[in-house]
Amino acid sequence: MNEGIDISVEFGGLRLGNPVFTASGTSGYADELGEFMDMDRLGGFITKSITAKPRKGNATPRIVETDAGMLNAIGLANIGVERFVEEKLPILGKMKAAVFVNVAGETIEEYLTVVERLANEERIAGFELNISCPNVEKGGITFGTDPELVKEISSAVKNACGAKMLMVKLTPSVTDISVIARAAVEAGADALSLINTFTAMVIDIKTQRPVLANRTGGLSGPAIKPIAVYLVNKVYKEVAKERGIPILGMGGIRTASDAVEFIIAGASAVAVGTASFIEPGCAARIIEGIRKYCVEHNISNIKELVGSVSQ
Amino acid sequence: MVCGFMKGFCEVVMGQEYGSSSKGEFRAVVSSNRQIGISFYRLTLEFSGAGAEAFDGFGPGQFVQLDVSGAALPPVERIPDELADAARREILLRRPFSFTDVTREGDKTVADLLYCVVGPATLRMTTFKAGDSVSVVGPLGNGFSVPEGKKKAFLVFGGMGTAPMQHLAKVLAWDEKERDIEVVAFAGAKSVHALPFEGRMDEISQQLGFSIREFAKYTIESMVATDDGSSGFHGPVTDCFLEWLKENKPSVEEAIIYSCGPEAMLGKVAEIAKERNIDCQVSLERRMACGIGVCQSCAVECRVEGSSETVYKMCCEDGPVFDAREVVF
Repeated sequence: MNEGIDISVEFGGLRLGNPVFTASGTSGYADELGEFMDMDRLGGFITKSITAKPRKGNATPRIVETDAGMLNAIGLANIGVERFVEEKLPILGKMKAAVFVNVAGETIEEYLTVVERLANEERIAGFELNISCPNVEKGGITFGTDPELVKEISSAVKNACGAKMLMVKLTPSVTDISVIARAAVEAGADALSLINTFTAMVIDIKTQRPVLANRTGGLSGPAIKPIAVYLVNKVYKEVAKERGIPILGMGGIRTASDAVEFIIAGASAVAVGTASFIEPGCAARIIEGIRKYCVEHNISNIKELVGSVSQ
Repeated sequence: MVCGFMKGFCEVVMGQEYGSSSKGEFRAVVSSNRQIGISFYRLTLEFSGAGAEAFDGFGPGQFVQLDVSGAALPPVERIPDELADAARREILLRRPFSFTDVTREGDKTVADLLYCVVGPATLRMTTFKAGDSVSVVGPLGNGFSVPEGKKKAFLVFGGMGTAPMQHLAKVLAWDEKERDIEVVAFAGAKSVHALPFEGRMDEISQQLGFSIREFAKYTIESMVATDDGSSGFHGPVTDCFLEWLKENKPSVEEAIIYSCGPEAMLGKVAEIAKERNIDCQVSLERRMACGIGVCQSCAVECRVEGSSETVYKMCCEDGPVFDAREVVF
């Protein structure tokens, strides 16, 4: 009934029909959720992490449920960039949503291989850089926890991605996320997405072993939402706002109210992650809910809401 | 197709496959939720409209993802001590279940689900009552198939592995009636109390007979095996099955084994099948978040034909039923 209400947003130079994305790793390569919702209704779509070579992923168990959340340690299982181009890009090319390819790797070279392969593909709008991966050349330190490494990888990718948009996805497992955000923006990031999952652990008290084969995994779901809202607001205030850098906010969103909360905190757009596992058509319901919110609160442009939380 | 690994093979003997309808999220209405024995329940769900159509085509071995996050806890005095801590947990993810029976009744499709109370989700499920509405995602995955030329089917299962086997028994006995496939069921459990069947399971003989009501109603004979000997054969169900095979020596080409249950049992069944060159389909279980091929959590290590390498297939989309030769146990 609110179909005609305009909730389009501008996101780093892109005009999106609405501010809702599906998050990386929770919506497949392309149209996997298509049986549950009309994918063309999405504002944006982010692929699962793509690496230079195919990856088998971790042994099982790869997930475990926690209170109001879940841990995952999939191990970046994916078909690799070549098969991605061949099998998935044609499907993505038909989608109306702005398509971002999430890129991961263990060396800067690996990231660049993926980005260079895709930089001239008309069918994608940009890249989301997954910097929550261990850097094997630097003794396994996570790229995203060291501002120098973030600068190095962001500027290398920015140079390789041509006219495509570069969005850097921040890990919350750091002392000060604004330091990392600033490093990414100074190196040329056009947008920031936050937050990725929190490194976490569940132990089976009967066997005294971690439940996940990988020992640790990333915590996602409603449990992390208030922290995500806080971090989005922090990065918005301390880094993004003055530089005009849009934030894609995420972390535990499962309702339109959650989405609006992130926007008020400072996100220009939001992504639905874990909730898609439980309700695969969740993103479409959230889009409708945002429209309804705008009608009820007399908001004619979503932009008015971004970062509107009182000081 | 469940046996991509055996592709050439399957092209020759392609038989009947079940489960062709497209998946979706549907509402079902609970029509009953009946306790069986100490810790088993049989939940009956009714689908109408598009759900009735979708689940009419639900094949044996396929599964659904049930949302139980909204279900209430039973009263404190009905929570077993060993689940007191688990009862405090909140449910986020859906839970996968297969159906034991699916029946079209006019414009409705009625499906039965067997569950055992083992954790926070199944504990909550005990409070489902007639009239409650439940969100169901399905039908999911690839179920069992019945290759052509098969004359004997052995159902070998342990514990809750009986659930899809009862559905398969019905399909073999009724839908495949004209093929006249002889079916024998082998049911295993730790002890008599862990046998999820109705009736007096402590009075079962060690002989093949119509001892399990749930299979007898399809004129299928069964044997029961318990680890502690409290019912039927004393020992693992795989030993019981092996003894029967040795005595009866069925024709290998005409036989097929269907199995569901604990992974160690499935591995043993796969070994028995391989040694005798009998076709075997196993239904696997994995922790899964989505059930629709997105989260990639339910990985199953599978062999690659003509290579020593292995790949991970997804239990939800490539399975949950696999050709036993393909799976690395």
